[in-house]
Amino acid sequence: MAILERIYRNIDNRYWNPGVKAFPVKNRYTAGVAGQRFFEEIKENGKIYGTPCKNCGVTFVPARMYCERCFARLDKWVDVGTEGTVFSFTVVHKTKSNEPKESPSLIAAVKIADGLLIHRLGKCPVDDVWIGMPVKAAFKPKKERRGGIEDIKYFKPL
Amino acid sequence: MRKVAIVGAGLTKFVRRALETPKELSYEAAKTALDSCGLRLEDIDCVAHGTAPDAFDGLHQNGEYMVDGCGGWNKPTMRVYVGGGTGVHAIVHGWHHVASGMFDTCLVVCEEKMSSAMPHAQGFFLTIFDALTERELEPNLLWIFALEMNRYMNRYGYTKEDMALVAVNNKKNGLKHPSSQFKDEVTVEDVLNSEIMAYPVSRLDVSPVSDGGAAVVLAAESVARRITDKPVWIEGVGWSLDTAYWATRDLYYPRYTDTAARMAYEMAGIREPAKQINIAEPYDPFDYKALHHMEGLQLSPRGKTVELLRDGHFARDGNLPMCPSGGLLGVGNPIAAAGTMKVAELFWQLRGEAGERQVPGNPRLGVAQSWGDLMQVSSVVVVGN
Repeated sequence: MAILERIYRNIDNRYWNPGVKAFPVKNRYTAGVAGQRFFEEIKENGKIYGTPCKNCGVTFVPARMYCERCFARLDKWVDVGTEGTVFSFTVVHKTKSNEPKESPSLIAAVKIADGLLIHRLGKCPVDDVWIGMPVKAAFKPKKERRGGIEDIKYFKPL
Repeated sequence: MRKVAIVGAGLTKFVRRALETPKELSYEAAKTALDSCGLRLEDIDCVAHGTAPDAFDGLHQNGEYMVDGCGGWNKPTMRVYVGGGTGVHAIVHGWHHVASGMFDTCLVVCEEKMSSAMPHAQGFFLTIFDALTERELEPNLLWIFALEMNRYMNRYGYTKEDMALVAVNNKKNGLKHPSSQFKDEVTVEDVLNSEIMAYPVSRLDVSPVSDGGAAVVLAAESVARRITDKPVWIEGVGWSLDTAYWATRDLYYPRYTDTAARMAYEMAGIREPAKQINIAEPYDPFDYKALHHMEGLQLSPRGKTVELLRDGHFARDGNLPMCPSGGLLGVGNPIAAAGTMKVAELFWQLRGEAGERQVPGNPRLGVAQSWGDLMQVSSVVVVGN
């Protein structure tokens, strides 16, 4: 076979994501039946909602329309508060173009009720984060919210 | 259901950038596999082929495009696609064709040409994430893996050094593989000192992006015995998908692998996999992932895997060699082809044809597993001689 480029040393394998954000085509997504209400609650009221399944004893966050386990339709909505705990985290050192970031940033999976929200951590020095750390959602001011996950600026330590 | 055997296998080299098109890579792998068992394309009844996201090859409806390179011209041909899980899943897929009695022979071909994705294949992953809940944060696979790796390490008290041992083990094994992309050995220090991409993931915790192809030939029992004296039987198959909704996963135990493995073991009549399996080829795109999957495959008790690794249990000459091929970390990771490469490795190992990589002690049973989609699918194949 014919090889155009070759690397022999593991460490030379440094090709990583210089910044393609999307395909050259665009999609216009709907938030979905559950998503519409979930993001409206964030936008209008600064609240995070989950949908409990009483058969399975699981409260889904982000809220969903159906239970993936028993296929029940979920129409009960509960306010699960805006606090959670860090379930796992990562410290991102590289930009999408593979350049070192000016300062490393924190991304966490935040456990709220039985679900996880993936989000940034803010107001938290990189060395101070720990798994199990209690955190709280910091919302953007209401007039800047537009009904998306970024209406939450970040989660910050309690 | 009929017994199904693997009777031939072939690989291209796994490289950073090949001149070959996706079709040509498939052709090279398929042709090598056919030659290895003395069959011609006309002896093949059907084709099962696999590639991961269309975006990597840059061809929408890649399955249709690939047909002629895979030997599917004018034949019943089906593509299977479950992301990184595709390579082993394509074997399961091919097994159905033959086990059902529909076909006597099936050519399974998997290929990936990652290098055509510019500037990097990683960019295409953005669109696998939920458009509303995750994509705005611009996630990439590295930090998603980092979350899982961190949770896994935290759960059992494993360290970065523990995880690096896997990279060292697999990359060392890979040096003996003629298809390997690499020529140098790495040490634990190399891994630990490689640049941090998304803590705890450093450069050398990750497998490379590669171009490559892999193929195997499957045959029904009566036909297999005419083709070879050393058929390797597919004794069990299993697959399972976890939810694509992140929020209800625990991140430290791959339950999708658990389900798929139990299904395959039950079919193979294996009650104590950790004692009965002689070779394991768990999917290892990241070093921690191999250990994660060893636990899901029931080949190591949860939380004890590093201990066994440090004791040499998973070395080539250990009780249960792990990734004797070198795996994705050591050979390379042309996504779909990498999974099929693992099954090809078991085929050669169980026939005693693995050369320098040969596991001692006449291994009888092996398991290969691949994993993918949104970190949610496992496909498992158990083979025996």
